[in-house]
Amino acid sequence: MSYTLRGRLESRLAAVLLPFAIACGLAAFLGDWWPLQLAAAMIGIGLALDATVLHRLLPYQPGWAALPLGLLELGLTMALVERFDVAAPLEPALWFFAGSWLVAQILTHAGLPLLRLTYTDDGGELGRGGMALTAAAPAALVLILGAAWAGQPPTVRLAAGVHEGPLVLDRAQRLIGEPGAIVRGGIRIEADDVTVRDVAVFGGEVGIEVRDSEDVVLDGVRVGGASMDGISARRSSVTVRDCEIDSPAVAGSQGIDISFAMTLPPSLVERCDVRGGSEGIVSHLAHVTFRENRVSGTVLRGIAVTEMSMGSVDRNVVEDAVGVGIFCGDYSRCRITENSVSGTRVDPSGNPTRAGYGIVSHFGAVAELDDNQLDREAAAFIDGRLERP
Amino acid sequence: MRCAIVGAGLGGFVAYNTLRHGGLEPDEIVVFGDDPDPAAAWRVQSGAIRQRRMRSESDGHCFPTTFPGLAVRETMRRRDPLPTLLSVCDRYRPSVEVFLRHVDELRERSGWDASFRQARIECVRAVSGGFELDGHGVIPHVLLAPGHPGLALPAELRGDPRVVHAYEPHEYGSKIAVVGAGMAAATEWRNALEAGAEVVSVRRREPARRPLNVARPLFTKRGLARFRAEPRERRAELLRSFSAPSYPPGREWDEPLERATREGRFRVEAELNGADQVICATGFRRGYQHAPVLRRLVEEHGLETHERWIFLADDCAVPELTDPGRTLALVGVSSQWAYPAADTLVGMKYASRRFLQRVQRCRTR
Repeated sequence: MSYTLRGRLESRLAAVLLPFAIACGLAAFLGDWWPLQLAAAMIGIGLALDATVLHRLLPYQPGWAALPLGLLELGLTMALVERFDVAAPLEPALWFFAGSWLVAQILTHAGLPLLRLTYTDDGGELGRGGMALTAAAPAALVLILGAAWAGQPPTVRLAAGVHEGPLVLDRAQRLIGEPGAIVRGGIRIEADDVTVRDVAVFGGEVGIEVRDSEDVVLDGVRVGGASMDGISARRSSVTVRDCEIDSPAVAGSQGIDISFAMTLPPSLVERCDVRGGSEGIVSHLAHVTFRENRVSGTVLRGIAVTEMSMGSVDRNVVEDAVGVGIFCGDYSRCRITENSVSGTRVDPSGNPTRAGYGIVSHFGAVAELDDNQLDREAAAFIDGRLERP
Repeated sequence: MRCAIVGAGLGGFVAYNTLRHGGLEPDEIVVFGDDPDPAAAWRVQSGAIRQRRMRSESDGHCFPTTFPGLAVRETMRRRDPLPTLLSVCDRYRPSVEVFLRHVDELRERSGWDASFRQARIECVRAVSGGFELDGHGVIPHVLLAPGHPGLALPAELRGDPRVVHAYEPHEYGSKIAVVGAGMAAATEWRNALEAGAEVVSVRRREPARRPLNVARPLFTKRGLARFRAEPRERRAELLRSFSAPSYPPGREWDEPLERATREGRFRVEAELNGADQVICATGFRRGYQHAPVLRRLVEEHGLETHERWIFLADDCAVPELTDPGRTLALVGVSSQWAYPAADTLVGMKYASRRFLQRVQRCRTR
């Protein structure tokens, strides 16, 4: 097939109609934007490739080229999704892309040539229908973006300076701190779809408390001076990224605690710097991913996945922990890969399970280990298991 | 009667099927020709050169729509994905047997025989409301599909008893000269070598090696836009270059020649040198002047021409004789001015689809 530029664009738009409609339906059904964002990324990449590269490089496009071009578009789409933090789950996203690709192949090789006698002669152009499609595409984009904008939770900007807390966020919203914005006395989140960004929190018993909420994002927050936990999420699904936590040197304090959320979507903690406290990052009965964090100076455990949690602990750095660097306990399942644990010291209590181990699997827990750098060994106690590839 | 097709070969047959797909009934179309078998001439020619496979790919068929082509249909019939996979890689070339069976089946179910009239039209005259065809009445939309205007023989070989044209039935002697270097010549080299003959290829220039006569983009709007933007002289020059001898690349062509060359049974020479048999693989006569119906049309209506081509609109219509109420268009090799690959099945479909569009737009229909 030798596409004209107009033919490429019109064929592309015709081919994405069905996937786009499915994405709209899926977004409405799930109450989530990711299907539309994914479809938009896929369509955007396709149109951009058509206009800038494919038209010039491929005056004639053989049928077999659909496969490598599809893989190229998939790679670029997923890169875009990653770049813009689209919360699309990987497997459904791949299925959506594959389904869309298949629809496009069927349509351009069979459907459109059947529907329009001169389709191949015209280089993929669709006549008046194509022109209508081209005209409707920007309108659809504006409509979708408008709906997306209208459906977004309100954004509250927190001015620089100290704001007396505790702040209670009981509606969906985005709380964005200007540089120098500080909340004294903590923040409590009690609603779904709340984002807190670039806010420093000082004081209070818990720096940021999340209760019974989903789709909560804590991005670039700093917590210090809390008397117990830095961030505490219960029965909630949260994403915490690029945070800084300074925990007090008191028994039982936790930098980040995610608990009692096994039935909720997984929580994620990434690129956080957690200093001091009893435990750095810990989960109880939750499905979690802890990755690329730095945890230092804890006196009980650096990172803990415990009480029947399921967790991935990847590429973290744990330094100067007393007793245990990374802990997988109480029938939890842990995948612990590419972490660095150093400076772990023996707990003076004399407890043999806390003899300064890099990694411990404890009480029926199963820890899969791969490619970790430990300056002290890994150990298992009371039916705990360590599995290595 | 709404439409007439003058010429009942493959070009006329493709046009007929396109019109039928567009909603015209058999009693709205009349086809004039010598033989009711649309593949009659082609059958003889392909049989003469012992052609086994089509040069064209999956789209080389007479169905009005591009999809499903012969590859997909063969896949369905044989329950074998190979034809479709080959087609995806531009490597599917249906056998002559498959192609001819497809023509027979399509003829059977299209109503072709109901529309066919055995008559040779010598004169097409523009009159009010359409065209008068040798006393067969006035018809508003006429498509001329005269086909190739006879076999071409070099003047110096006419009357030579050793000479046979490649497209005429023939057997092979022991020492054969094949004149020409295109697809038919390449097929004849292979045939004659297989028959045990000693073959001399007589050629004035080396053949190009390309899968199709015409570059692929020239089959669609993208390449055509460039072609049509050229000035007339350059356009004619390009058309001449497309008719230069060529045959596909590939081991199936090269290996027999290499083997025969090593054995001393195949060589290339510039002149004839006393072979027992001379096979002229020199194709067809070229130009509207050799087709009586076209020559007369041009002369009587003063149509614009350029060298051997009739000047045509982009949709293969004759601009001087076409208006919103009537259409005169060409299909097949005579419509090359609008579509360089006009003598291919894809080219025939191109012209036929545009003709159908004009018929459908016409107020009188």
